[in-house]
Amino acid sequence: MISKKELEHVAKLMRIELDDPTIYSRIEKMIGYFDILDSAGVESEEISFREIPLANLREDKHIPFDEKLIEKLNHYKGTYVRAPKMV
Amino acid sequence: MNIKISALQFAREVKSGNISAEDFIAKTIEQIKNVDDKLHAFLSLNNDAIEQAKNIDKKIKSGKKVGQCLGMPISIKDNICIKDTKTTCASKMLEDFIAPYDATVITKLKQQDAIFIGKVNLDEFAMGLTTEFSAYGPSKNPWNTDYVPGGSSGGSAVSVSAFECVASLGSDTGGSVRNPASFCSTVGYKPTYGLISRYGLISYANSIEQIGPLTRTVEDAAFMLNLITGIDPYDNTTVDNHGEDYLKDIDSGIEGKKIGIIKEMIGDGIDPSVLSATKDAISKLEGLGATCEEISLDMVKYSVAAYYTITATEAGSNLARYDNLRYGYDFSVEGYEFNSYIEKARKKFGPEVTRRMILGGFVPSAGHAGKYFLKALKVKNKLTRQIDEAFKKFDLLVSPTVPILPFKIGEKIDDPIALFLVDINTVTANLTGKPAISIPYAISNGLPIGIQLIANSMDDKLLLQAAHALEKTVKLPEVPI
Repeated sequence: MISKKELEHVAKLMRIELDDPTIYSRIEKMIGYFDILDSAGVESEEISFREIPLANLREDKHIPFDEKLIEKLNHYKGTYVRAPKMV
Repeated sequence: MNIKISALQFAREVKSGNISAEDFIAKTIEQIKNVDDKLHAFLSLNNDAIEQAKNIDKKIKSGKKVGQCLGMPISIKDNICIKDTKTTCASKMLEDFIAPYDATVITKLKQQDAIFIGKVNLDEFAMGLTTEFSAYGPSKNPWNTDYVPGGSSGGSAVSVSAFECVASLGSDTGGSVRNPASFCSTVGYKPTYGLISRYGLISYANSIEQIGPLTRTVEDAAFMLNLITGIDPYDNTTVDNHGEDYLKDIDSGIEGKKIGIIKEMIGDGIDPSVLSATKDAISKLEGLGATCEEISLDMVKYSVAAYYTITATEAGSNLARYDNLRYGYDFSVEGYEFNSYIEKARKKFGPEVTRRMILGGFVPSAGHAGKYFLKALKVKNKLTRQIDEAFKKFDLLVSPTVPILPFKIGEKIDDPIALFLVDINTVTANLTGKPAISIPYAISNGLPIGIQLIANSMDDKLLLQAAHALEKTVKLPEVPI
């Protein structure tokens, strides 16, 4: 289960403002449903991952973009992304 | 001119000179104008479509080489990038986003002279199964406009079903191609993981999602696969299919094939008419020379919880990029502190996306990962082992695509668990990477029912052959629009 405090903490970390009054009850229901995983009996199961050999990766080389990609941003100055003040 | 034809029929007619691409595109646009106010499949239209068709007709007349699509009108789910075209993901967050490049599937279809007639609706960022979570309003089921068309590729299914295009591309993360295909009576194909490049598909849950075609016939799905599959250096999860021709030998039939009936997918909660259609389909498969036998995959019971845990986690990570600095809408940075700016910008996400982001932050977090995320990965692993074991005995598996009939718009929107469970029969193929198809099979009370066939990884050709054999046994009424 998830407590209201935990939900608010996660939302803050994810920079999401909570203004939907139903969000807690809805997420609580969803997480409550996930509790079914407890009865799956998979404690001893290994976790396997898809392996992709390094040879399958494309060559890491600079490819110049044929347009001024920066102009597609909403906020930029010269070649920099313009962001709000951090401090 | 009849626009109610398959993709292959279209190609034959244009090639033989019986119809021109321009006339067909003009008629298709007319159809969109006539029906889409009611159905809301499209989010944007290609204003250059007629001009593009004229150019293809010119190429044909002058004897120049023309691609296999010959000006075929194809709709594209609005989470697949077409260069210099709006790609909104049905989200206010991306309402003005113009894609700076083509997805690999788009590049491949452009090379074959396809015409992208427009971008179609979806649940915001593909998170949903009804299109009710689109920021631009839901699409409607052409069989009954009071009902949902399924999702998240609902706009794709509606546009094919209502003759607003001849084929569409959607994306399938937990059934998002097959579910709307079933609800709208079209074919929907989820390929083996890696068969189609995801480059240019806006990411939701990379480890399980795939682009897939929605078409009028199984042959058309095979035709589309021939055009868009294969290794892509821009997506290192793609697999080499050695140039497989999925149309060749599609008439091979299923004589002697062994088919497993997944017990957990025809159990509690199934609609009686869906069960009856499934039993009928099984009889037809037996009539075609296959042997059908029940099989239990007990991890299916946990598959939906595992699926939502894994996808929420990946979504939480993928959506972190939407901070309105690199992508987003026009909202000045002046006067804001960094965190409060991003918080405010993210208010453009709809409620379902917001919920899934928070879920995605919670389930893999310290103190909870063992209970949720890691357990979900273990279920995924065990389910994969169970299905691999099943394919040692069976060539194919069968189930209804969705255990219930399409439901009314708004009926389940406030019940997240009821919505989750609509996915129970489709998520297994995504979690295990197997190919699966939904074939239009029956109509009950005026609403469509689809049958799902699943094959082993890279057995896509066999899957299409079996689906084609089953499809040939079915004669369904025309959509009442």
